[in-house]
This record gives sequence, structure tokens and C-alpha cells, in this order.
Amino acid sequence: MAEVLTIGRAPTPSVDAKRSAVRWLSYAFFAMALLFAAVAAALGDVFFFRLATESLIFGGLALSVDLLLGRTGLLPLGQALFFGFGAYVSALTLKHLAPSLPLALAVVLVSGTLVGLVGGLIAIRAKGVYFALISFGLAQVVSKIVFNTRELGASDGLIGVPAPVVSLGVASFDTAHAPSFFLLVLAGMAALLALLMRLMDTPFGRQLDAIRTNEHRLAFLGFDPWRYKLAAFVLAADIAALSGALYPMLRGFVSPELMFFQVSGNAVINVVVGGTGTFVGALYGSALLTALKSVVGSFTAHHAIVIGALFVVSVIFFPKGLVGYLAPALERLWSRR
Amino acid sequence: MLDWLQFVLAPQVVNGLSIGVAVVLMALGLTIIFGLLDVINMAHGEFYAIGAYAALALIGVGLPFWWALALTPLLMAAVGYATERALIQRVFHSKDRHTLTLLLTFGIAIVLEDILKIVFGANPLRIEQPITGATEMFGLFFPNYRLFLMAVGAVVIAAVWLVVFRTRLGAMVRAAAFDRHMAASLGVPVSVVYAGTFAFGVALAGLSGVLLAPIYSVFPTMGRDFVLIAFSVVIIGGMGSIKGAVIAGLLLTQVQSISSLVISPVWSDPLLFGIMVLVLMWRPHGLFGRLGHG
Repeated sequence: MAEVLTIGRAPTPSVDAKRSAVRWLSYAFFAMALLFAAVAAALGDVFFFRLATESLIFGGLALSVDLLLGRTGLLPLGQALFFGFGAYVSALTLKHLAPSLPLALAVVLVSGTLVGLVGGLIAIRAKGVYFALISFGLAQVVSKIVFNTRELGASDGLIGVPAPVVSLGVASFDTAHAPSFFLLVLAGMAALLALLMRLMDTPFGRQLDAIRTNEHRLAFLGFDPWRYKLAAFVLAADIAALSGALYPMLRGFVSPELMFFQVSGNAVINVVVGGTGTFVGALYGSALLTALKSVVGSFTAHHAIVIGALFVVSVIFFPKGLVGYLAPALERLWSRR
Repeated sequence: MLDWLQFVLAPQVVNGLSIGVAVVLMALGLTIIFGLLDVINMAHGEFYAIGAYAALALIGVGLPFWWALALTPLLMAAVGYATERALIQRVFHSKDRHTLTLLLTFGIAIVLEDILKIVFGANPLRIEQPITGATEMFGLFFPNYRLFLMAVGAVVIAAVWLVVFRTRLGAMVRAAAFDRHMAASLGVPVSVVYAGTFAFGVALAGLSGVLLAPIYSVFPTMGRDFVLIAFSVVIIGGMGSIKGAVIAGLLLTQVQSISSLVISPVWSDPLLFGIMVLVLMWRPHGLFGRLGHG
């Protein structure tokens, strides 16, 4: 129970079975999401569509945290910095350049890579807890600057961001239409998840696993861990920024709160509760906690205490997270047959 | 020029010093906890806030400020001891205690902050200044309470130094920090030392909260910005170094208060952070070594 999270273990013989269990859980997640969409669409609902879309978007942020925490062994406590950055850049692009989704995503990708490089050059220098604290400090400082910059709307943020229409040749998606946007974001997250899981099977992915397990040994083998860590950091920054880019399309505004520690912390909670290092666990965690927040929130304004207590309990007693326990259970079930 | 030194710079230096003493108390708690337990206490800012609220509550039931000042650290030590025994030591023996304890204290911070909101509400509250008036020195008036704060802080810092480096108890703490197995086999009750150290660090955070409560207003998230400064201090001074926390704490708060004469206070956090990054580029483990290590 104890040796989890960022500790790497040598691949066990059942690694393929385990991976297929995780893959099956990924299919199950998207099947459930589609089922939800069908039911919600049949009921003509908007509120829950928006809520589910938000949970997917924050799930994207959690995916970027899992890439660093679960695969590379770096604990980012300020990943909301890149999420908020993507949201602001996307809002500015949609508002002042053109209300176009591909354009917004392209601008966010390019600028997110640059910002990720700068942030990475600062943060990757530090190891272990120093990295966690520096990423925390970076986000804190930038969010404070944004909070005090009048050109960016200061504490109010940017409002009145237009929702773009995406034309896909035959059909066109209106991002203001809740069900359409949900499906669009769902497809985006599925692509992202597939990409990340594929990436982990490449040499690059194996290097990241090796860094988590033993950084010094990787250096002895002639690889420069710094380069791989930087690449992982930039990739995670891009994923967070692209997820953030979707936020203003959903809500029509951005605010400095998106960069606050609350958001970074929630992303880490999503990952740990969902299952560190499993990727799809990040999406499960985000969905689970969004649902929980919505249910608890309907009784009391103090949902943080419930979420926090759940998090404390899950760190102490279930450090592997939801998927971290479900996947081996599935495996056992299959092997028994 | 001389007037500027006397009437602009000097008061700012004194103000910075009074905040600096409180920051050093915070940072000492963080650094001692890390130096001994390897735990990054993400809930330190919340313990600071609880200290301020505890003083507020004690004054609210009719006790004078001085009683609150004396009782709060004791109360906070009990809270810290219970936290360590009930929660932190459960994940302490895993291989990856850095990450797990950091996540755990982060969860504790969320819970504590919400408890404060439920019990006291989200609005800022105030404590009356227990010492009013000002003292004239070098043709300048300094608020008496700030002078008092500095005196108390200096005494506590000196006492911590003495206890850690000059007493048998301190030797046990340092021994446990250096090699807990060896310390345990020499008869040091390591688990009690651990819990006691955590309690002590939490008490320091609480003391800092009480001392600053009459200067700042008291609200549930008051610890967040403050703990960021304390973390910068600890990182620059070296995680786990007592000397580093004191020196970096006083220096950084001076930089902050003097720079606010020239630049907008909004930029003082980025400035501190920039200094931290530069120090880390030059010395990745901070300026001074860890507790118990040379």
C-alpha cells in the first residue's frame, strides 16, 4: 500500500494485462460519457452538459499533472499557471483576432510551448520538493501579476468572449450549443488520452518512466535526464494550456482565479484520487470530484471540507487511486477465468 | 539625502524588521519540520491562521491579549502533536514520504481552511492593538507594538537556537535528524521527537499568527500569501537550516520593504521569487546545509 505514487517499479510480467485493463477502463469512461450525453440530450438538459464539459476540461489539466507526477516523478503544484495562460490567450484571440477554434488552439499551442520552455528552464533546475515549491511559487507570482494588470481585466478577468463555430466540412459545431461542445471536448480528450498512452510506449515515454524510477541511472546509461524532463514539462504545459483554451468557449469569460492554487491543487487531487500514473484516472478523478462537488454543493457551501477530507483519506488509505485499484482487480478477474 | 535616510528609509527598515521577525518564526517552523521529518508542511499557512483565530477567540471570551499570546502556542502545539500522530506518521514510513506527506498536508490545509470559514466566517476580523502609542528614537516615532513584536521574536529565535544547539534535547533532535536508526538504538525516543518537533513547528506558526494579528486583519486565507514568503525564505536559506531561515528571512523582508519604496508592492512578490530562482541557480540546495548535517 505504501510504495506508490512516484515510485517506479520494474515492469512486472503482467504489464500487458495491466495495460489492457487500463485501456478497458478508458473505453468504459468514454462509453459512460456517451451514455450520459444520450440521456442528457434526451432530457433536453443544458446545466449538466456544461458541468460535464467543465469536468472534462479540468480533466485535461489533470492529465498534464499526471504526465509529470505519475510518469516523470515531478510534482507540479502550479500547473494552473499554464491552464490559465491558455484560457487568457484563447479568450484574447477569440475576442480580438477572430472567433475561430483552430486559430485559438494554434495560438495557444505556440505561445504555450514558449511559456512552458521558460517555466521549465526555471523549474526543472530544481529536484524533488524544490521543484514542487518552485512550480507553486511561479504560478502564485504570475497569477498575482495577472490579478493586478488592468489590461487583462485585473480581478474581473475578461468577459464577453464569443463562442466560435467549428465547421467540419459537412457539419458544423456551435460551441455555444452545450451538447455539441461536450462531444467536441470529449473527442478532444479521447485523442489526447490516446496520444499520451501511445507516447508512453515510445522510447521517450520509457525515458520518463526511467527518470521517475532512478534519474541517476539514466544518466549513467548516457541519456541526459534534464532534456527529457524539460520535454515532459513543455508537453504538460501544452496539454494544460490547450485544456485551458477550451474554458472561455464554455463559460464565456476568464478570470485570474483560473491560475490560483485552488485550481492547481484540485488537479493534483483529481490525479491522486483517480489513480496516479494511469492517465485515464485523471479523467475519472475529475468526473468523480465534479459530481461530488455538485452533490455536496447542493447541501452546503462548504464542499471543500468534504473534498479535502476525502483527499486526506485517499492519500493515507488508497494512495493508488481509483484506477490504481480497479485495474489490478479487473486483471485478477480476467486471469481467473 | 540625510532626511530621506532618516524619515523614509529608517521607518521602512524597522517595519520590514518587525514583519521579518514574524516571517523568520514561520520559516523556522517550516525548516525544522523539514530538517527533521522530511515533511513539507503545506498546511503551515493554515496553522498560522489558526493561531491568529485562536487568539481572537481567547480574547473574545474575555482573556487579555497576553494570556492569548501565551496560551495560543501551547494550544497549537497540541494541535500539531495530534496531527502528526493521527495523520502524518501513517504515511511517514513509505519510501516516498516527500510526495505523500506533501499531498497529505495539502489536504489538511484544505480542511482546516474550510473549518475556519465555517466557524468564523469569511469576513476579515480585527484584534485591538494591545500596546498603543509610539516611542521616539533618533527623532522618529516607532509604534510600540512593532518594537514589542521584534523583542518577542528575537527572544524566541534566540531560544530556539539555544535549545537546538546547546541542550541535550536539541542534541537528541539533531541526532534523530542525522540518522534516525542510530538515534533510536542509542535510546532516543524517535517517534516522540518527531511528533514533538512537528508540534513545535506548528506552535511557532501559531505564535507568528498571534503576533501579527493586531497588525493585519484576520481572515481564513490569511496564511496563503504569508506562507509563500516563508517558503521562499526556507528555499533560499536551505531546507532544514536554522541559520539559513534566520538570515534569509531578515534579508528577504528587508528587500521587500525597501524595494516597496521604489516599485509598486504588487511587484515585490515577483522580485522575491526572482531572487529565489537566482539563488537556486547558483546553489541548488540553498545557502546553508541541513539540520544535523555539519
